[in-house]
Amino acid sequence: MGRMPRSSASTLSAITDEMLAQTIASTAAGDATDEEAELYRRYASRVRLFGLRHLRDQSAAQDLVQQVFVVTLERLRRGEVRNLGAIGSFILGTSRTLAGAQRKIEHRRRGLHETFDDRTAVAMPQAETLDLQRVERCLQTLTPRDRMILILTFYAEKPAADIGAELHIAPAAVRVARHRALTRLRDCVMPEKAI
Amino acid sequence: MTGERCSRGHDVGDLVDYWAGDVEGDQAERIEQRIFECADCGERLAHIEAMSRGISEVVRSGRFHSVLTESLLNRLSRDGMRIRMYTLEHGAIIPCAVWADDDLVVSRLRADFTGVEQVTVALQLESGDELSRVPDIPIAPGQTELLDAVSADRLRQLPPTRLRLVLTGTRAGKEEVLGEYGLEHAGNMAP
Repeated sequence: MGRMPRSSASTLSAITDEMLAQTIASTAAGDATDEEAELYRRYASRVRLFGLRHLRDQSAAQDLVQQVFVVTLERLRRGEVRNLGAIGSFILGTSRTLAGAQRKIEHRRRGLHETFDDRTAVAMPQAETLDLQRVERCLQTLTPRDRMILILTFYAEKPAADIGAELHIAPAAVRVARHRALTRLRDCVMPEKAI
Repeated sequence: MTGERCSRGHDVGDLVDYWAGDVEGDQAERIEQRIFECADCGERLAHIEAMSRGISEVVRSGRFHSVLTESLLNRLSRDGMRIRMYTLEHGAIIPCAVWADDDLVVSRLRADFTGVEQVTVALQLESGDELSRVPDIPIAPGQTELLDAVSADRLRQLPPTRLRLVLTGTRAGKEEVLGEYGLEHAGNMAP
């Protein structure tokens, strides 16, 4: 594989995932730190969310981000990522593998940390911080039923079927109401963002 | 769903269902594939996660006013929330207070809800001025009580006063008072 020309910081955000992956894959360790950081910027949040969804723990999700990027960068350099155009799928697959075997790899992870400490020292993806007083006020603008559905879903962690049974409505109606309520809440709490 | 879609045309409702744990197996894997292929989907999922975390944190802190189900009340209690509960019968006036370590005050309002589908609960001062009003509360068949939860912090700010909870609803097309409940609020008690 030919060596890709280095990108300037100003153009990094405009280049494709494939070009980033190609540059990292064809460059000696330590020579593509900007591209590594850009790949991390693009995917770290998604890996963290994947980790949260499957591991249900903030610290474990943050650990997963580190593990996934250490493995991804290492395998890129070894030429073990066959389809660089599907680097997102590779990162997802790595996330699945590592999350599924998290306990087993704990020991290995410590070793990787020692070996690749410089590369894992990048900032962790930060979860968005909300103004809780605003969330509180905005929750009060919802109908009692919609408020209850959001609380049962995201605090009590109940599936739509259980919520439907509790509130005497169909699970499909719970899903529709939940999405609409969350959209209304988003519009109130962070009107500049889209869910 | 609401029909909202990401920049690549994917249904955002699927992301909400995914985050809520309502999709598993192949369907969840397809959504995850989409999230890792579509940066906009990833960003929207981050917003959903932030909102869900915010809701959970507000509830954990007891800073909300909502009707509750029995299961939710049990869950809050299991999670260590300090809940002060008052059971109120129509027409009765009972003494009540909020202590320094209370998180939530729950009024268990008993009434005849037969034939009533939705009710409104209003919290009033003795003067008749309203402190809060929660309309359109759904009533389940066979329900005999309504659990109304108020943040203890909010009640701590009230001076000693008489409060009145008024429950109204529509039965056979006609609006009626289902219950009036008096609370002799003694204010914020020392620990």
